[in-house]
Amino acid sequence: MTNLEKLNNIFVEVFAIDATVLGDGFDKTSVDSWDSIHQLSLTSALEDEFDIMMDAEDILACTSYSNVKSILTKMGVLEIC
Amino acid sequence: MFLDLDKKDKNSIAVIDDSGNSITYGDICDFSKVFASYLPKRTLIFILSENRIGSLLGYTSSLINRIVPLILSSKTEKGLYRNLRDIYKPEYMWVPNEMVDDLNYEKIFSDFGYSLVKTGYSQKAMYDELSLLLPTSGSTGSPKLVRHSYRNIEANAYNVLRMFNLTSSEKAMAVLPMHYTMGLSVIASHLLAGATVLLSGRSLLDKGFWEMLKEATSFTGVPYSYDILMKMRFTRMDLPNLKIITQGGGKLTPEMFQALASYAHDNGKSFIPTYGQSECTARMAYLPAELALSKTCSIGVAEPGGQLSIIDNDGNETFTGEAQGEMVYRGENVTLGYATCLDDLLKGDENHGVMHTGDLARRDADGCYYIIGRLKRFLKIFGLRIGLDEIEGLVKSEFDVDCYCKGNDEKLQVLITRGDLVNEIVSFIEGKTHLFHKNIETIVVDEILRNEAGKVINQ
Repeated sequence: MTNLEKLNNIFVEVFAIDATVLGDGFDKTSVDSWDSIHQLSLTSALEDEFDIMMDAEDILACTSYSNVKSILTKMGVLEIC
Repeated sequence: MFLDLDKKDKNSIAVIDDSGNSITYGDICDFSKVFASYLPKRTLIFILSENRIGSLLGYTSSLINRIVPLILSSKTEKGLYRNLRDIYKPEYMWVPNEMVDDLNYEKIFSDFGYSLVKTGYSQKAMYDELSLLLPTSGSTGSPKLVRHSYRNIEANAYNVLRMFNLTSSEKAMAVLPMHYTMGLSVIASHLLAGATVLLSGRSLLDKGFWEMLKEATSFTGVPYSYDILMKMRFTRMDLPNLKIITQGGGKLTPEMFQALASYAHDNGKSFIPTYGQSECTARMAYLPAELALSKTCSIGVAEPGGQLSIIDNDGNETFTGEAQGEMVYRGENVTLGYATCLDDLLKGDENHGVMHTGDLARRDADGCYYIIGRLKRFLKIFGLRIGLDEIEGLVKSEFDVDCYCKGNDEKLQVLITRGDLVNEIVSFIEGKTHLFHKNIETIVVDEILRNEAGKVINQ
């Protein structure tokens, strides 16, 4: 499984959604259930899956699918896409 | 006047909210007169609350003018909101402007982002000392409400003021929702002190929250708030203004408790865990800061103005020495009782200042209390109170299935008799309670066995 697939699986698991809805529009504003509980669950799952440590700034910035992808790219977990 | 609001410094800042706007104590008093000019009589009002100045002014203006509010989250699920509206038939509502069109009631006036609307229901008689109604459960939308007197709110505010030695120079970070008893307690106690309330509806994972926290002298959270704060490594942040961190709404893990106690000790701050229930206007006990390092997970002693005791298995009530049994609280903040229907708003004081908490506690030789279990059937997850009987009732009325709920303060376990409904029931409970689906576990069983009294026996 690629890291991108692993990332998508985490989103599917945390938000209980179908992977097909993931994209640029999937963010805190458009997803009703995106509260602090979901966001923290998301960042914890990312840390466990990719064995990384996110700093406070990154955790706060995890407010959309695209942001998460760019944070993971910055950390070298995802290829630049 | 309510909380002596007219005796504070008129020009000092009472509340600042996320918009950056602020109001003074003078503004609070002036607005209460405007409010009274539109609604000049004692009646029932629903406040659909958000942590914003407009919402808070609805609360203070109602209490000042002896209008009785039921405070609900503006995000209350529609079905549950309608249920409460149909039962209690409020004559007025104070709602965010954005909700006015949807509700379709006659608008009387708008200010501070909120509007007063008239529902068409008629005024009902209410007990003279009744001041405020709050849901027993912020989540499951049970029609069961807690009835507060004017004295309850003032006594709680005064006890909390003494517990934390609050002065007018405090700036309290108020992120707990206004419809939640502890959120309201933070507001009322700081208004009584003439202090400044930093009222925020933001998520703790929002940058704006962290900017506001830099100004705060105190932070009040539930255990989950501290999970987030720790995750954000706030113990390494420079927060020179922050003097007090305090917690209620359930138990911290021993690790978290010790981490907070050490952080406070090493950084010249006070960590003050507290205990309370909505039936007692929020706060009942606190662990003095100097005991935080030595009494891990203790809720400490009764707050100023209150008294704790234990009734053991033999029915003996003791106030000192080691003991174990049901914890009992006495104080002026013990509420009047519950309401489950409109007629109950006429009821007087049913508790007479004594609350059997339903919590099983141990008292050590130093007089400090520890909560070790619960006699009543509810869980507290993320500070949300989850009534097990209520969830069972909701599931059974929505689906053709038998259901039994249990669990701990991490996870709600739902036993159901049909495997094909697992996903549907989980989303249903998620929708009704706002619980995170990962905290709901379903267990499919053939049958839920009950004894003759209807009590579940096999689970």
